[in-house]
Amino acid sequence: MNKIIKSYAPFMQAGIQTLIIYRMNFLGFVIGGLIYCFVMFYLWRAVFDSNGEGIFLGFSMTDMVIYLFLANTTSQLTYSSVSEVIGEEIKDGSISMRLLKPVNTDLSYMFSELGEVTMKLLVLFLPMITGLEIYRFCITGTVMFNAINFLLFLLSVVLAYIISFRVNLCFGFIAFYVKNLWGIGILKNSIIGFLSGSLIPLAFMPDRLRVCLEYMPFASMGYTPVMIYMGKYGANEILFRIGLQVVWALLLYGLSKLIWFGAIKKLCVQGG
Amino acid sequence: MIYAEHLRKEFRKTVKDPGLKGSFKALFKPKKEVVVAADDISFHVPEGEILGFIGPNGAGKSTVIKMLTGILTPTSGECRINGKIPQNDRKNYVKEIGAVFGQRTQLWWDLPLQETYNVLKEIYEVDDAKFKKRMDFLNEVLELEKFIKSPVRTLSLGQRMRADIAASMLHSPKVLFLDEPTIGLDVVVKDNIRQAIMKINKEEKTTVILTTHDISDIELLCDRIVMIDKGKNVYDGSLHELRENFGQTRELVFETDNSSNLTEDLFRKGLNLKGSDLVIESEKNNFKVRFNSTKIPVGEMLSYTLSLTKVKDISVKDSDIEEIIRNLYRQGESSDE
Amino acid sequence: MRRIWKIYRLLAAQNLKRLMEYRADFLTGAVSFLIDQAIGIAFIFIIFTQVPQLAGFTFEQILFIYGFSQIPKGLDHLLTDNLWCIGYFIVRKGDFDKYLIRPINPLFHVIAETFQVDAVGELVVGIGLLIYAAPNAGLHITIWTVLLSIIAVPFAALIYTSLKIMTSALAFWLKSSGFIIQMVYGMNEFSKYPTTIYSFPIRIFVTYIIPFAFTGYYLSLYILTGNDPLFNIGGVILMSTILFIISVLIWNKGITAYESAGA
Repeated sequence: MNKIIKSYAPFMQAGIQTLIIYRMNFLGFVIGGLIYCFVMFYLWRAVFDSNGEGIFLGFSMTDMVIYLFLANTTSQLTYSSVSEVIGEEIKDGSISMRLLKPVNTDLSYMFSELGEVTMKLLVLFLPMITGLEIYRFCITGTVMFNAINFLLFLLSVVLAYIISFRVNLCFGFIAFYVKNLWGIGILKNSIIGFLSGSLIPLAFMPDRLRVCLEYMPFASMGYTPVMIYMGKYGANEILFRIGLQVVWALLLYGLSKLIWFGAIKKLCVQGG
Repeated sequence: MIYAEHLRKEFRKTVKDPGLKGSFKALFKPKKEVVVAADDISFHVPEGEILGFIGPNGAGKSTVIKMLTGILTPTSGECRINGKIPQNDRKNYVKEIGAVFGQRTQLWWDLPLQETYNVLKEIYEVDDAKFKKRMDFLNEVLELEKFIKSPVRTLSLGQRMRADIAASMLHSPKVLFLDEPTIGLDVVVKDNIRQAIMKINKEEKTTVILTTHDISDIELLCDRIVMIDKGKNVYDGSLHELRENFGQTRELVFETDNSSNLTEDLFRKGLNLKGSDLVIESEKNNFKVRFNSTKIPVGEMLSYTLSLTKVKDISVKDSDIEEIIRNLYRQGESSDE
Repeated sequence: MRRIWKIYRLLAAQNLKRLMEYRADFLTGAVSFLIDQAIGIAFIFIIFTQVPQLAGFTFEQILFIYGFSQIPKGLDHLLTDNLWCIGYFIVRKGDFDKYLIRPINPLFHVIAETFQVDAVGELVVGIGLLIYAAPNAGLHITIWTVLLSIIAVPFAALIYTSLKIMTSALAFWLKSSGFIIQMVYGMNEFSKYPTTIYSFPIRIFVTYIIPFAFTGYYLSLYILTGNDPLFNIGGVILMSTILFIISVLIWNKGITAYESAGA
């Protein structure tokens, strides 16, 4: 364990340093996410006003606010830019430099990113959770914070990140075939945004579609932890959902390894 | 033609302490530091001259070139080329200059080379007849025919450099800035490019400012050199003068049976020489004396040595320009400490 | 002027030739933006399965507003996409040098250099939604409303462009301003829905400060009701002109602060 930390710490450090150099960008990223939340907030408020019942498909406005902000913060926290990184490295050829380093390649990507994740955790995620708890307390008048739920939520968030990382790793290799990474990135993000429920709760989808989506890996990337945090799942369901996350994490691990080996072969061919 | 007067350029740089802790500190309290990349640089280049603009890495060469081409705005000072100040009248000014930055390309990466020239023709408003004549000339000098139909990304470095020089010459500029045009090229290609630069300079009276790390570029091409170090002028004059002023060092190499008794002290006392006027290195039977030839003539040094030991072979070395420049760079370093 | 047009055509043609080399890319881009749009519409659709009206607008009217907002956005996307690259890496890597040694306006050069066909996604969806929603949206159609709305579209696109010029120019000082462009550009989300759903400060903000409300809602409002052309249409023209002037001033100031890369 010590050895792992020792050999990957430089990647993490480099990641944090890059982040700090471009800290304005990071701030923009965070604020951009919040703006989006606000647009959605007002939109939902208008929807609730038009609806007039105060409950919309089992969600109260308070639920909705929490869902919106939490789903977006969680998706920002678990967002992995590894596909962009790999894409760029394939494009400019620097991926071969990474292959030369005597470390596990996917772990090196992950550690480069963990710095950023830590930063998001500190400046975005924790303040947001605190804010939401205060908001919930002001609206309902009771403390609804539940330590066990919260720990399960954190576990689920970690799994969500791992799944997101693996999914993006797989996406990154598309750069071998397509040059328009920007377009692909937009496509990927909007698909993930929609299917993971960060745009609109999956509970609002037509039933059959919802069931399908809930089993797909995308739901595991954001929807599952948020629903756990909100207490929408009972004990059995929580266990089932987390189990599903683990299964997806393993499957995607396998898939990304498969693609990786295929890709390395292609890399050798390209290199002549 | 080209006047640079007291050019100064400052950059702001965020500095951070090493390590993670430093990174976090920089996040909340970024420390800014002013870096002076060019400080009081002045020189003048007459029309038709090839000026070698040299200095060690990070001396500020590119900064100066970029100020001269109008890319950077000087913090203070002024440059005037053909009576124009680049930053004030950029659009008209750049019509009269061409620039090649060896590390970048201005060619359209994915398209056949010819396309770049077609676009540049319009951008620089070159009329059809002139364009044709120009392409013929550039073809002849730079031999572009072989790859003019290939996409730029498939060109070799040498081809790309030739193509880039042609691109910067298309509008018959009066001044050509070449920032490391021979970087990374092999000897044959380098020679090719030098020939081309020489030809362009001769036939068109183009004034050329050339930065390079390759001393042969300078020896073969340049009438004059300006050397800068740490953002400051350190030398301005002809190569010949440089040799005169800094090149009085001569080196004699003797092959002897035994050189152990020939110590530096012996020579210093015997010839009354001090400090850097004399350096002696001996290695087995080879015995090297480097000395200032203005303090002691070569003949005198020769006879003195012969009087001390039995010599099998002698060779005399003239100081080459590379050596001189290296010494100048070194002087800069030691004065810094 | 003719020369400018000629150079623009030439540069755009280069770009198209490049795209022809990578046909798959063109398809990926256009399809990506199409799907991105489809998801936005699905979202509205899901909402309207539950409510009959939103802020007093019917489903068709909301679709109309949404669709109209995508046309200036797509137009700007089509024509000025290279500004993103300025903010993200052209300045940081020092590649801006080349624009400064050419005898044409650097801003024009940067813009003319790309012709982003990905924008077809937004334009197709925008126009498609207008056609789909128009018959049932209860439009107030007169020669004036149609004419003025069409005239206003390029100005609305200019609001996008000006904001992009401004924020990308920040890279001249900050080295990289990609996410600032992203942040400001992202506020176009506000333009997709009726401004009346927002609280007062936000309404002021998206009307007078980052005036995206003019690129969608107010434009549509005019053709939906025929009311208040001075504000709804005049506002677009005034706002875009002011923004554009400011953005060019910032850009020109930025160029003098450009530091290139390397020593």
